[in-house]
Amino acid sequence: MMTVKILDVKELTKRFDTKIVLDNISFDVEKGVIFGLLGPNGAGKTTMIRIILDILRADHGDIDIFGRKFDDALKARIGYLPEERGLYQKITVFECLKYFAELKEVKKSDDKIDFWLNKVELYDYKSKKIEELSKGMQQKVQLVAAFIHNPELLILDEPFSGLDPLNTKLIKDILVDQKREGKTIILSTHQMDQVERMCDRILLINRGKRVLYGSLAEIKGNYKESVVVEYEGKLKRVEGVKKVNDYGKYAELSLEEDTDPQEILKKLVEVVGVRKFELKAPSLNEIFIEVVENA
Amino acid sequence: MRKIFIIAKHEFLSTVKTKSFIFVLILPLLILIPMVIAMGFIPQMALETPRNIGFVDEVGILQANDNFTKFGDSENAKSALLDDEINAFFVIHKNYRETGNVTVYSKAGLFSSPPTSVIETFLRDSLLEESKIDETLKERIQEPAKENSITLNKKGEVEEQTGAGFFIPYVLAILLMLAIMTSSGYLMQGIVIEKESKTVEILLSSLTADELLTGKIIGFGSAGLLQVVIWCCMLVVAIAVTPLSALFQGISVSWILILAVVYFILGYLLFAGSMACVAAPASTVRDAQQGATVFTMLAILPMMLLTIIINAPNSIIAKVLMYIPYTASVTTLMRISLVEVPVYELVASLAILTISVIIVIKLSAKIFRTGILMYGQKMSLKEVWRYLKG
Repeated sequence: MMTVKILDVKELTKRFDTKIVLDNISFDVEKGVIFGLLGPNGAGKTTMIRIILDILRADHGDIDIFGRKFDDALKARIGYLPEERGLYQKITVFECLKYFAELKEVKKSDDKIDFWLNKVELYDYKSKKIEELSKGMQQKVQLVAAFIHNPELLILDEPFSGLDPLNTKLIKDILVDQKREGKTIILSTHQMDQVERMCDRILLINRGKRVLYGSLAEIKGNYKESVVVEYEGKLKRVEGVKKVNDYGKYAELSLEEDTDPQEILKKLVEVVGVRKFELKAPSLNEIFIEVVENA
Repeated sequence: MRKIFIIAKHEFLSTVKTKSFIFVLILPLLILIPMVIAMGFIPQMALETPRNIGFVDEVGILQANDNFTKFGDSENAKSALLDDEINAFFVIHKNYRETGNVTVYSKAGLFSSPPTSVIETFLRDSLLEESKIDETLKERIQEPAKENSITLNKKGEVEEQTGAGFFIPYVLAILLMLAIMTSSGYLMQGIVIEKESKTVEILLSSLTADELLTGKIIGFGSAGLLQVVIWCCMLVVAIAVTPLSALFQGISVSWILILAVVYFILGYLLFAGSMACVAAPASTVRDAQQGATVFTMLAILPMMLLTIIINAPNSIIAKVLMYIPYTASVTTLMRISLVEVPVYELVASLAILTISVIIVIKLSAKIFRTGILMYGQKMSLKEVWRYLKG
C-alpha cells in the first residue's frame, strides 16, 4: 500500500540571532499515524511547530504539507493546541469556541460546538465563563478549539498536561478515534508512557539536532535490553550495570554491552530482596534519558 | 477579508460591552454637558437675580431703590443682616468723597462673598447722578468700552476671529484626545493580554499576523469612532438646547464635526500603529504602558500648550503642532474652530498625517509579526531595527 506523506520537512534550520535553534532537521509524517515529537525543554519543538504552522519562518529548508507549500487555505486543514494555554477569560465557553470556529470558517458551528462539548463532557458548562472553569476543563475547551473544524492534521503540544487520569483517558480515546478516522496527529509531550503506547513513529530532537527518528520498534531495536527489578532493601551499585533509574523499590537497569543478565540477578540477590526480575526492551523513557544525558 | 471582519467584530463587541467604555462614553454627559449648560445659563441667572443690599449713608448721596435699602445706622443694618432681611450692607463714611472709604458687611458662609462689584456700580451711578453731567458722557463713564477686537497678521491684514472663545476648541481637544487615546489604549491592552494569555498563538494558526493586526485596528477604531460620533451628537444637542447657540453663530459646526471624524480616523490610526509597535514585543501591560508614555506625552502636548493655541491660533507654535503628526489632529481642530485656516495648510497637515499613518502602520505590521511571539525579553532598539529589516 502506498503511503501518503502529510508532512515532509527537509533540512530545516532556524537561528535566533546567533543561536541555532533547529539544525538541519529532516523528517516526514505519514497519513493516519500518531507521530511523537519529543525533546527536552528548550530543544526546539515549539519553534519547529511554529515553523510548520507558518507562524515563524525558517532560515533554511523546505516544508511540504499535504503535498504542497504552506498557504493560508491549509490553515483550515490543521488543528493546533499550543503548549501555553490561553483562552479569553471573560467570555463564555460557547462564545469562545464560536469565535475560534468562525476564524476556521466552520459551517453550522453551533451544532459542532455542542457535539464536541458533549464528547469532552463539558456540555453543562457551555454558558459558563472560561474563568469559572478548572484548569483541566479549560484544557479540554482548548482541545475542542483544535478539533472543531474537523482538521486532517492535528498538532497537539502537551495535550495531557493538567488532566487527571480520567480526563487523560478521555482525551487519549478521542485521539485514538481520530487516528482511526484517518486523521494524522503530531503529538509533542513529555509523557513518555503515552508516547510509547500511542505513537507509531517518533522524532527526538535535542539542542536543535535530530537524535532519534523512526518507528518505536526500530529505535528500541538499536538499544540493548534492560532489566526491571522490584526489590526490598537498599540498592547498591552493581558491576556490569551502566545506568540505574532507581525509584526506591523499583529500578530500571541499563546493562553494559557484554553483561549477562543472569550474573546481574545473582549479584542483586546478594544485596537486596528481589521480588521481581524482568528482562525487557528499554522503555522510551530510558532511551530519552540516555540520549539526552549523553548528548 | 472575512477573517479581518471576524476579528474586528469580536474586538468591537467585546470593547463596547466593557464598563470602562460605557463610562468614558457618558463622561461628557457627566462633566462637559452640565458645564455647557451651566456656562449658558448661570451668567444670565446671576445677572437677573435681585440682590437685596442695605446701606448706611453718612454723606447723603445715595437713594434707596428696589435692590438697595437705606438704614439709619449700622446697628439697625446689622440686625437686618443677621435676620436675613438683607444679604449684605455697606457704610459710606463722612470722609468718603476725599478717601473713598467704604465698609462692607456680609455674613460668613461657604458660598457668600461681599458683593463689591454691585456696590461699586451703585456708587458710580449715584455719583454720576449727583454730578449732573451730560447723559452721553454718563453712559460712556458707565461703559467706557464696547470692545470689537481685530487681529492683524504680519502683512497688516485683518484676521477673522470667531466669538466662540475657548469653549469649542477646549471641548473638541479633550474629546478627540480622549477618543484617540482610549481606543488606541484598548488596542495596546488587547494585544498584550492576548500575548500574555498566549491566545495569540491559536489565532495565528487560523490567520496571518497582518490580518490579526488589521482586524484589531478596525475593531477598536470602530469602537472609538462610535464614541466620537455619539459625542458629536451630544455636543450638537447641547448647543441646540442651551443659550450657547449664540456663541456658535458664524461657525460651521457641521464642517468642524466632519473634520473631527476625519482627524479622529487618521489620529487613531497613527496612535494605534504606534501602540501596536510597543505592545507586540512587550511581555506585560505595564511594559507596554511604559513604552507608550512617549506617545501619550505627544498626544497631550497640544493640551499643555492650549493657552498659546487659543490666544494665538496663527502663531508659529500652533502651526508647527499642526504639521507634527502626533499633535496634528487635536491642534488642527482647535485652530479651525478659532480662525479660518487656509485650505493649503489643512491639505498639507492632512497629507503629512496620512503619509505618517501609512509609514507607521507598515512599521507596526513588521514589528507585530515578530514581536508578538517574543516572550520574556525587553525590547531593545537594536531588536526593533532587526524587526524592521526582517
